[in-house]
Amino acid sequence: MESLDPRLNRIDLDAFNQTKPKTRLDQFETYEVFVQAKENKSYQHEGVVHAPNEEMAFLFAKEQFSRRGTCTGIAVCKTENIKTSPTTDNGRNVYDEYEPPHSELGEYEKFDVFHLFRRGKQHLHIGKVEASSYDEAFNKSKALYNNDKTVLNVWVVKTENIMFIDENYRDIWYTLSEKQFREATAYRALDKIKKFKEENSLS
Amino acid sequence: MYGGGNTFEKLQTKALKDEDPQLLAVFEARIERGEKIEPTDWMPDLYRKQLIRMIEQHAHSEIIGALPEGTWITRAPGFKRKLALMAKVQDEVGHAQLLYSAAETLGKSREQMIDDLISGKSKYSNIFNYPAFTWADSCFISWLVDAGAIVNQTANARGSYGPYCRALERICIEESFHLKYGHHCVIHLATGTPIQRKMMQEAFNRWWPPMMHFFGPSDKISAHTEVLMKWKVKMDTNDNMRNQFLDMYVPKIWELGLTLPDPNLKKNEETGRWEYTEPDWEEFKRVINGDGPCNAERLAVRRMAEERGRWVRKALLSPKSKYVTPLA
Repeated sequence: MESLDPRLNRIDLDAFNQTKPKTRLDQFETYEVFVQAKENKSYQHEGVVHAPNEEMAFLFAKEQFSRRGTCTGIAVCKTENIKTSPTTDNGRNVYDEYEPPHSELGEYEKFDVFHLFRRGKQHLHIGKVEASSYDEAFNKSKALYNNDKTVLNVWVVKTENIMFIDENYRDIWYTLSEKQFREATAYRALDKIKKFKEENSLS
Repeated sequence: MYGGGNTFEKLQTKALKDEDPQLLAVFEARIERGEKIEPTDWMPDLYRKQLIRMIEQHAHSEIIGALPEGTWITRAPGFKRKLALMAKVQDEVGHAQLLYSAAETLGKSREQMIDDLISGKSKYSNIFNYPAFTWADSCFISWLVDAGAIVNQTANARGSYGPYCRALERICIEESFHLKYGHHCVIHLATGTPIQRKMMQEAFNRWWPPMMHFFGPSDKISAHTEVLMKWKVKMDTNDNMRNQFLDMYVPKIWELGLTLPDPNLKKNEETGRWEYTEPDWEEFKRVINGDGPCNAERLAVRRMAEERGRWVRKALLSPKSKYVTPLA
């Protein structure tokens, strides 16, 4: 049948009847995305975007993860730059059970640390440590941030490899609250149904 | 937007008896305790493959599902409806991306998944192989296909695989807008002029049979799923989900004075279950296997997007790129 989409009828779709399989990395690398929903709240891992570079990753992350609610910050980091510990079962602390293998020492630099507190939940940004290697960063964060809450999984990333939004650009989210047309609350219609029922004496 | 239980084919996987019994016991105990499975955990081959298939089909359904509605963006009645429909279609495509990433954590690349969609190897929700003739059809989809998807997705969000649950939680929040928007659109037509009412009623007549197919084949004919239920991959049977959907939405359809094209549709007050004429499962199979009114067009549009975008992706790819599986 002819398409019901007039735009498609203007295109010769048959010209696209052969497609080559995708090549490796056709969809690019992945970046892990962290979102801060409100001022003073922790950045939280929200998911992944595929992107050719950090700037594009940031743009995709903004579209994908801050279309709703409130947002005051986004950070992106190439997946390959995150070092992770194993994941323990709920109630068992990975800091007590895991010792990271020694990694190569480098210059002292900053690392960002993320914790998972419950399986199925998101990793939260806990803070920064200064260290000369990933395992040293893990151990330092154990000393600094391992308190009464059980930590199931730890992510460590060099601060130079994670891009947080520049404080000065936060106004990109100021218009979020104006876009009520994509909120469920903008579509109330009970009155209309009630009126309709009364007029047609349907019960 | 996705309904479960779409395929009849059996997966080729390692037999359960060949899995390491100790690791299997740890895995099952974890699920039994209500804990989620995370990507780096050991999991049986059947669990991994079944989840990849399910999440991947769900992702494809979002991508393809954007097409019948997307068709109506340029002709949506008025600025407000256009804005809303654009936002909805953007959501659906975003959902596909969330889901592809969740499936990727299980080890199948996004390249491979999209290739399998285009080659017809992977399936997507069958309902999108039907055409949206009028604006009222797009209203039906926004309200009721999304309602069906919510029934399915809220169930799956209680499943055992962490990344899929996290994606579904986000998706369900966005779907609540789709549902309310769709209902609003249907109410507007159903309480409008006689011509509007007629248009809405005709859309219901067209879409009801594929809607009854949406939750997949009847439990009477679909494959046994005990182990998948035990592993919290499948959260409920197809017939139970269908029944839940009917229970929630048929009264809302009837209150608008609309009718449904099934004289046997009624709730059995004794059993609490809905009774209906058995959907035509032969048609369902036929359409899934390629013989529906829009299968060819849907895939051709995907192929076109694939071909037209290729040079852009190629130009952007840095030679230093290195692929690693996403983390969570």
